[in-house]
Amino acid sequence: MSEKLLEEVAGLEAAARAYTARHQRIDNLRWPDGARIAVNFTADFDAMLLRRLNNEPPMQLAKGEFGGRVGIWRLIELFDSHRIKATVFTVGRICELYPKALRAAVKSGHELADHMWEHRVPREPELERDHLLKTRDALERISGRRPVGSRSHHTPTLLRDEGYIYNSHGAADHKPYYVLDDKGAPCLLELPFHFAIDDAMFFSFAWYASANAEQRLSDTDRVLDMWWAGFMQQYRQGGYLNICLHPFVSGRALRIAMLDRLIARMKTLPGVWFATCEEVARHCLEQHPAKPKAA
Amino acid sequence: MPWKDGYTISDEKSLDDKDIRWPEGKRCAVHIVVNLSMAGGPEGISAKDVRSATALFAAGEGLDLLLAALAKHGLKATFAVPAVMATIDPARIRGLVAAGHEVAAQGLRHEDVTTLPRAEEKARIELATGILADVTGRKPSGWFSLPRQGDPFAGGTISPNTMDLLIEAGFAYMGNGLADDIPHYWVTDFASRRAILTLPYYYHFDDQFFCMFPHAGTGLENSDMLVRNWRAELDAQYKRGRFFTMVLHPQHVGWCNRMGLLEDFLAYMGRLPDLWNPTGAECAGYWARTYPAATHLELEPSIWKDYPGSLS
Repeated sequence: MSEKLLEEVAGLEAAARAYTARHQRIDNLRWPDGARIAVNFTADFDAMLLRRLNNEPPMQLAKGEFGGRVGIWRLIELFDSHRIKATVFTVGRICELYPKALRAAVKSGHELADHMWEHRVPREPELERDHLLKTRDALERISGRRPVGSRSHHTPTLLRDEGYIYNSHGAADHKPYYVLDDKGAPCLLELPFHFAIDDAMFFSFAWYASANAEQRLSDTDRVLDMWWAGFMQQYRQGGYLNICLHPFVSGRALRIAMLDRLIARMKTLPGVWFATCEEVARHCLEQHPAKPKAA
Repeated sequence: MPWKDGYTISDEKSLDDKDIRWPEGKRCAVHIVVNLSMAGGPEGISAKDVRSATALFAAGEGLDLLLAALAKHGLKATFAVPAVMATIDPARIRGLVAAGHEVAAQGLRHEDVTTLPRAEEKARIELATGILADVTGRKPSGWFSLPRQGDPFAGGTISPNTMDLLIEAGFAYMGNGLADDIPHYWVTDFASRRAILTLPYYYHFDDQFFCMFPHAGTGLENSDMLVRNWRAELDAQYKRGRFFTMVLHPQHVGWCNRMGLLEDFLAYMGRLPDLWNPTGAECAGYWARTYPAATHLELEPSIWKDYPGSLS
């Protein structure tokens, strides 16, 4: 019996080692011009599509639709008023639903990046690739350039092979880090995203069809305090913060007002670098490239 | 396939702040909705719901307190009334109308109609409308399908036919939609531009999700958060010149310390100049005249395609 248990322990050890080997932290990360912190405002623009994918009822779709009709426009206006460039992780089919808003985002200098074709990654490799390329082409038709970033479960090597340089999906470190392929070669830069800095966790009812007793509806004063504390923690130690917003959630008037206060407060401090995810990724790739793996 | 069919209910972009005008140069509209449903979940009002202490409070002292607070601050409200509540206490419902409030319909027993056949749902709408018309002496012009605490989602439930049936039945407006924070058109047929005016709703301004949610006795009491949300939204929408709405239940906001929170908030609201406080019907009437669908509903041609391997 103990032999079997030891085998299980060895199996866990091997799994953890293999996973660890596919990740590489960046030591002594420095930002341009001596900035203390890089801040990425990111908007996951899926409007009603994730709710449609999950077969949620009509009123849920309407709730998502707010993001396309109202929310995305307000986020663009907010970022523009602060001269901040943000990244819009765009579900491919949003290009067919809200082309005007996306063109406005591009015109203001915001980055469009991949957020899957219809908010899912197919299991079949050919279809997965088909979805990734459909999104790439749809975004390129709007912005005039190919996206280089993703927020998705897409296969890292596929993303790399199709010209993507970063993903923003995991949280293995507060700072950007590298994901390697199974041969130890650099694959993608990861721009860490965490649910604790995600508007949907505090304001969206029934996220991923969660049950009523699991709801954690909050208010803007409380979330502002939490996010400010998160920002200051990273600011003091010199770091990175990715703020994940959804147009159908943060586009509500009370939350735009909250974000306006948050940004204004951040801007009172020196050394805050507001950038797109692409700018942060390119800086890391150029100044802090992945190190060759020791044989 | 028409543009966005099956995905969206209205046009691509809301009205900008600068394009919104309220009557007599008012700055922001405030719509107060009082939900008189006792339904705990999708099945609607049950015998257990109406023979409960909570029901007695809601129909008695709770409603008295709420009506007194509205009167004190000179505010009008739209009452979303399931037909059965009007049969239980017709005099009480008539009293609401006499006090200047609006009585709107909310199903027979505020039941979930999601899977009802069209003919059955149509018959229920007619029955509920008739009962309310008999009690109040006038046909309701608004219809609500507000969420219940036991619903899996916080948006209210409708069937694929509901909006079309409401148009057919002559309703001027649907009282709760989530695609905008101002009145907007819910399109049921893109080709003919058939649409019903919809007033905005949002669960963050609905007391039931902050008062012992999801169950009395074990739920979370976050009435302080509720008031902070009201305050933050009112301030933001007032600044933009748009629309603020809140949903109140006598059994929730009427109880004890929560009533004090509401009183304070109403007093704060009363100090803001140039608020317009219409009932749902007044608001819908103004909107339909000022921003008629014929000239203000901007439907784009279809660019939605079907692809193999994708949802259509």
